[in-house]
Amino acid sequence: MKNIEKIAFQFPTTLAAALRLQANEKTRGKLLAGGTDLMVQWASGVPTPERVTSLWNLPEISAIRVLADHVEIGAGVTHAFLVDCQPLRTHVPALVAAAGTVGAKQIQARGTLGGNVANASPAGDTAPALLVTDGTVVLASQAGEREVSLSQFWTGYRQIAARPDEIIVAFRLPKRGKARERFRKIGTRRAQAISKVMAASRIRVEKGVIVSAAIALGSVAPTPVRLTQVEQFLAGKKLTPALIAEAEKLAQTTVQPIADIRSTAEYRRWASGRLVRDALEHL
Amino acid sequence: MSNVTRTWKLNGKSVTVRAPAGRRLLDVLRDDLGLTGSKESCGEGECGACTVLVDDEPMVSCLIPVGQLPNGTEILTIEGIARKAAGRVIQQAYIECGAVQCGFCIPGMVVSSYALLQRNPKPSTRAIRDALAGNLCRCTGYAKIIQAVKLAATRLAKRTR
Ligand SMILES: Cc1cc2nc3c(=O)[nH]c(=O)nc-3n(C[C@H](O)[C@H](O)[C@H](O)COP(=O)(O)OP(=O)(O)OC[C@H]3O[C@@H](n4cnc5c(N)ncnc54)[C@H](O)[C@@H]3O)c2cc1C
Repeated sequence: MKNIEKIAFQFPTTLAAALRLQANEKTRGKLLAGGTDLMVQWASGVPTPERVTSLWNLPEISAIRVLADHVEIGAGVTHAFLVDCQPLRTHVPALVAAAGTVGAKQIQARGTLGGNVANASPAGDTAPALLVTDGTVVLASQAGEREVSLSQFWTGYRQIAARPDEIIVAFRLPKRGKARERFRKIGTRRAQAISKVMAASRIRVEKGVIVSAAIALGSVAPTPVRLTQVEQFLAGKKLTPALIAEAEKLAQTTVQPIADIRSTAEYRRWASGRLVRDALEHL
Repeated sequence: MSNVTRTWKLNGKSVTVRAPAGRRLLDVLRDDLGLTGSKESCGEGECGACTVLVDDEPMVSCLIPVGQLPNGTEILTIEGIARKAAGRVIQQAYIECGAVQCGFCIPGMVVSSYALLQRNPKPSTRAIRDALAGNLCRCTGYAKIIQAVKLAATRLAKRTR
């Protein structure tokens, strides 16, 4: 019998029941949504947990709500569902683009937004697109709900600011309004490839002047990062070719990427600048 | 370990399975139910050889613990698709275009092609490439597979007119 067959599975049918299980150490299980990260890890020999709490199809965390100035996306929403949601293309287009680059169709049909965020890989495709919205993560436990800013949610390599008794229930993301968004992923091939570098941006220009700029990169640091220095440099300035060239250079000097099996530090540094240029040239 | 009993609509028929909740759908299909059309190649979701439709969506059966598929789930494997008129049109197009070499990836390819044509009867080349991006073939170089999907789309469009 395979190790995964020895796991005790729990299938709560409501969020309240799931939170009850997670509140008590004796019933708490490893959370499992679409399993596209965990099932792979378990198949490759990562030790399996004793218990699993399945969140797949849990209704309370599987909806998308479009509200006056923000959208609320359930943690259990799959990438496929997200990509098919027309209003999200209007309000958070970079996130829709990012979800559309996760794996391929089969992976998007099972992989969830909550799983991508909680897995906390620096190469998680949706992370930069979430970061540029200045949104929050909604966490629930039996003690109630709390909101954590996305910019404070990834605390280190594969670390998140959630307690063991907490479940991510949703993401509250301000709409882009008049800002423009862009997402670019650089990988070895278009599908089924983890990124070498990727960028998301949300930039607002009025009468040729950058009013606000949010730019985030993935795969260049232990966590997804905002390019705060570049953002501050851009704010209030006139969008000119010279400014774009300077922003590109600044991005290249502020990132500290590492070399690994997917790319070299030099390439990542160079590509980071090119992605900032790309974002500014498409405004 | 926890055993679960689940009753699904598998290839149009009601089927009840009893298995450890963490058993992979692929193992239940192949080893418990004898449906060996779905292939195992990479076992980690990359290659698509084990693709099946779960409630009309293509998924890799090597990454699904059966406990997560509730009663009433509709599952369509290559065996079920091969019995459908549209499935046979797709298979025939693969044969005529020479899209099959060793054949190991083909069940998954046909399942993904079927899912695409159900949703999008007139797919662009880009849409075909997107739909099949999760199915890897080490023999053909994909060109003839894409031709086959186009041929199948044309034939299916004629039938429904
Ligand atoms: C072939 C293949 C290709 C892939 N390609 C990409 C890619 O291109 N880009 C990319 O970013 N990812 C990729 N992935 C990884 C994966 O598909 C995504 O990270 C996906 O979004 C994970 O979601 P899931 O629901 O399947 O997570 P699961 O595997 O179910 O869980 C992942 C982690 O999140 C935790 N978790 C899940 N839901 C919650 C919740 N609501 N609250 C708290 N914790 C939770 C789990 O405990 C676990 O630690 C790929 C995976 C495969 C198999």
